[in-house]
Amino acid sequence: MGIEEKLPAGVLLTSVEQIVGYARRNSLWPATFGLACCAIEMMAVGAGKFDIARFGMETFRASPRQADLMIVAGRVSQKMAPVLRQIYDQMPGPKWVIAMGVCASSGGMFNNYAIVQGVDHVVPVDIYLPGCPPRPEMLLDAILKLHDQIQNTKLGAHRVAEIAQQEVVALATTPLIEMRGALK
Amino acid sequence: MTILANSNQPKSNDNDLITAVIDGIAVRVPKGTLAIRAAEMLGIEIPRFCDHPALSPVAACRMCLVEIEGMPKPQPSCAITLTEGMQVKTQNSSQVASSAQEGVMEFLLLNHPLDCPTCDKGGECPLQNQAMSNGRADSRFEGTKRNFQKAININAQVLLDRERCVSCARCTRFADEIAGDPSLELLERGAKQQVGVADDQPFESYYSGNTVQICPVGALTSAAYRFRARPFDLVSSESVCEHCASGCSLRTDSRRGKVLRRLAGDDSEVNEEWNCDKGRFAFRHLMQDRITTPLVREHGELRPASWPEAIRYAAEGLRNQRAAVLAGGRLTLEDAYAYSRFARVALGTNNVDFRNRTASSEEQDFLTNHVAGTGLGVTYQDLEDAQVVVVIGFEPEEESPIIMLRLRKAVRNKTLKVIAIDSANSLGFKKLNADLRLTKPGNESAAISELIKDLQDQNSIILVGERLASSHGAFSATVAVAEKVGARIGWVPRRAGERAAVDAGLLPNLLPAGRKVFEPRDREVVASAWGVSVEHIPTKPGLTQLEIISSAVQGEIDAIVTAGVDINDVANHAAFAAALNKTFVVSLENRASSVIEFADVVLPVGAITERAGTFVDWEGRLRTFDAVMQESLALTDARVLHLIAIELGHTFKDDAKVTSLRSSYSSLGAVSKPGTMNLVAASTTKTGLVLAGWHHLLDNGSLQAGEPHLAATARAVVAKVSSETAQANGLISGNRVIVRSKLGAITLPLEISEVAPETIWLPLNSEGSSVAMQLQIDIGAEVSVSDGGAI
Amino acid sequence: MVEIPQVIRAFGTTFLNMFKKPITEQYPEEKHLYPPKPRFHGRHQLNRYADGLEKCIGCELCAWACPADAIYVEGEENTDEERFSPGERFGKVYQINYLRCIMCGLCIEACPTRALTMTNEFELADDERGKLIYEKSDLLAPLLPGMAPAPHSMVEGFTDRDYYSGKVTGATPKQIEEAGN
Repeated sequence: MGIEEKLPAGVLLTSVEQIVGYARRNSLWPATFGLACCAIEMMAVGAGKFDIARFGMETFRASPRQADLMIVAGRVSQKMAPVLRQIYDQMPGPKWVIAMGVCASSGGMFNNYAIVQGVDHVVPVDIYLPGCPPRPEMLLDAILKLHDQIQNTKLGAHRVAEIAQQEVVALATTPLIEMRGALK
Repeated sequence: MTILANSNQPKSNDNDLITAVIDGIAVRVPKGTLAIRAAEMLGIEIPRFCDHPALSPVAACRMCLVEIEGMPKPQPSCAITLTEGMQVKTQNSSQVASSAQEGVMEFLLLNHPLDCPTCDKGGECPLQNQAMSNGRADSRFEGTKRNFQKAININAQVLLDRERCVSCARCTRFADEIAGDPSLELLERGAKQQVGVADDQPFESYYSGNTVQICPVGALTSAAYRFRARPFDLVSSESVCEHCASGCSLRTDSRRGKVLRRLAGDDSEVNEEWNCDKGRFAFRHLMQDRITTPLVREHGELRPASWPEAIRYAAEGLRNQRAAVLAGGRLTLEDAYAYSRFARVALGTNNVDFRNRTASSEEQDFLTNHVAGTGLGVTYQDLEDAQVVVVIGFEPEEESPIIMLRLRKAVRNKTLKVIAIDSANSLGFKKLNADLRLTKPGNESAAISELIKDLQDQNSIILVGERLASSHGAFSATVAVAEKVGARIGWVPRRAGERAAVDAGLLPNLLPAGRKVFEPRDREVVASAWGVSVEHIPTKPGLTQLEIISSAVQGEIDAIVTAGVDINDVANHAAFAAALNKTFVVSLENRASSVIEFADVVLPVGAITERAGTFVDWEGRLRTFDAVMQESLALTDARVLHLIAIELGHTFKDDAKVTSLRSSYSSLGAVSKPGTMNLVAASTTKTGLVLAGWHHLLDNGSLQAGEPHLAATARAVVAKVSSETAQANGLISGNRVIVRSKLGAITLPLEISEVAPETIWLPLNSEGSSVAMQLQIDIGAEVSVSDGGAI
Repeated sequence: MVEIPQVIRAFGTTFLNMFKKPITEQYPEEKHLYPPKPRFHGRHQLNRYADGLEKCIGCELCAWACPADAIYVEGEENTDEERFSPGERFGKVYQINYLRCIMCGLCIEACPTRALTMTNEFELADDERGKLIYEKSDLLAPLLPGMAPAPHSMVEGFTDRDYYSGKVTGATPKQIEEAGN
């Protein structure tokens, strides 16, 4: 029907968005943000047995300028929150955040004055990963789900429209404080 | 150690004290003290189920067995009175007592099912707790437990699970001794023993919820709370009941921002540890039909608006207008105080009235001189200590149920005589064994004047209800009699906020704390407490509610601020609606009400669980409470009024927070002695058939909305007449009767009963009998009746 | 004894490792080769009796035991028309917030009817907080052969006690018909 049939073998057609997504997702460089027990599991993911180098992630960067993925691993205390935000701000865009473990995701069992009740109060989170701590496979799973998201991210005017659309949805959702049930 | 008598014990002097020894500790207590009470005072806890300090001892459960020196077997400490030199050993010091208790617990658990995970009592259950503390680790019983049908209704809102019952007889004793509704009984014998009611006679009592609370196991549970939550995830907060002027202390249990149940609080000076079913079960109104955002009217329609917009809109509508405030009878003291201040300073008017009901200028005079700002007057304890209590225009059980319990307690002790002057007999009067003087509405003052011979040289108290406002000369007669015989007067309104409204000066001639509008000195004191100049307080007495309505209809009032009023509560509701239609209406409400369709601005305020405040009960006692929902963002009426006042350019000394209003009010002090009331003579006796009635405790009141189980226990809605009246008017018992006024009619089943001559009695706001809405008349008005045929 | 130079020893280690099998788990591709241990604490499951009635009685003991306050339960009364579990009470609302749950398993120990157990499933990561609150429908065990979905009546002639002692073996035709309706 279309142009695909007329192409010689070995030639694939794709969109620029897909190519850019493919490139981005296979060259994620994580910044180290190990804060507590989850960081031990995160280190395991970097080591030989789980080896995130398989996904083009290679090493954890101690310098935010050289990283585009922040894995917040562990409970974020109120005092750590501004530091976390500063590291995030120093990372070049496009950048992503994984909240690893229940403490980073929602405060977990530390529902008290000292702990930020979810790192999404400070930075935008792309993937929430439950577990206390999550086993390395769970982190790999989260990274793969993030890859999926990155692959399908839009570009340019499409991206602007997507953000506008997300904003509309976000405004219509019930604020956290009004939600009933286990959420709160 | 010497233990002084507390309120539960007979009064004593030093000669009446005896010495006994409990667990090796010598204790001096008044004669007649039970061993278990003395042990409690020492901090020694003896396990018990049937024992309850307010109920007579029966020693039914045998759990409290103790060893007493000189007695061959262990004795129940809840039924043994201490004697001089008695040596009592509890489970703490005696192996005999301890193993006896373990044995009793094993017996109690023989037939008790293991359904704690599904039982509503699980987690707060004395049986669970005491099985852990005073029971054996395992049972030797291998047979089959007794089986009954699980939960059966003993009335619409109390469920009975007989498998769980330990036959402690707390519920039956409560019904018999405290509530006086003895239809709950222990039936059968031995292992089959069970609590029950007659097949055709459910446990009809306004106090039935208390049996659920005092049941030491999960045998009695409430239908409304059944399986709703477990005690361990509820947050309990102390609160005060908003339903009537009794001022009961309550425990409100909530979970995640939702009230799930209410229990009677423990306050020995007010409700002891009881409350009525309305206070216990009617709380869904706190969550139903709530208004969540401010609304303003635009092109004839109400639309949601932001707070700043709504406040500005309200302020513009009120600016430089001839305004009035109708503030209902459900406000807290702080809110009523804020309305009083807002009307005087921000609106520059004395047109304020809280009485959204039958009212008279004589009543206003009475309230001004004998109620406003007088502080704590006649108390519950005074009722108990009195020799004679007269109730006039006030049915204690229906209109303030806790007063009825207190009176009944004294009547049962044979220390009190109750005299009632009212239009019909009732279950409440019967339970009080009252000397009832049936009086045709309007003739009360004559009956009151005759009281002098009953009250001479007696320690007497006269309780007058708000219904008396419909009888010309009755308040005057009461005051005259009271002065002559030295009796004290207590005014018992029906709504929780009416006393606070009087104290806060929500009357056209009153300022807060009994200060008077026309007294320059009073105006100065109030102005300095508010932090405004004295010219800001208008000197001319304002209009009452009736006058406000008629002036508004004639176009002499431009704007009305309303709070918690229902136009259907008053007989002239057509004029009320017309008045609201003609004026700019600012309505402060927490739920949708009948006023909203006329409102130009609706400002949502917090429900009573969402804010702190103070109710003033009929005694004049301040019943301060804190917010149940601490995290609520809802505003109080006072804060909203403050915002409007600021918009109108007025500022006060304080910030209108609850605590600052409270201290501002208390800085005004109390009135030292009652004023002098203008006594008026009774009008001529009415001829012809007149209407009488009162509100049933459980009726169509808006605070009972959404409670099907509670509504099902309401009393039958019937019209009552005496047999003579029935004969004279051709009415037949069991048939329907049609009651007509000039504006409407009510048809109800007829019951021949003890009713005053030439009087027909109707419930005022029950299903099918809403006197204000249907007949549009007040009690005491003439009506015509006719037979309505068979049912 | 002749000492082997350090350098050679080091390279020897490297050399020998070339013949070892790599220890890297090829996680997403070969995850079936590395299953978690049977007692691994994964996602929860609400179990059913053999005839499909739910075991959960809505007693909230799991919620009580939970140190992270991650479980929310609301009970409700079973009626003859709509029966979800044997006995008087069932869990109408059952939510677990996996962003609070620390997978400690205290809820499993607290459950008096073995209604709540844990599976080995761990791939729970998601992109929204709301999606990680699992409702009762997400947690209920799948229907095995012989089970009919609740609500339906109990097996005729059986009491809740018989259910607890495991005497029920499967749904009766009457129950299947009721469930079908």
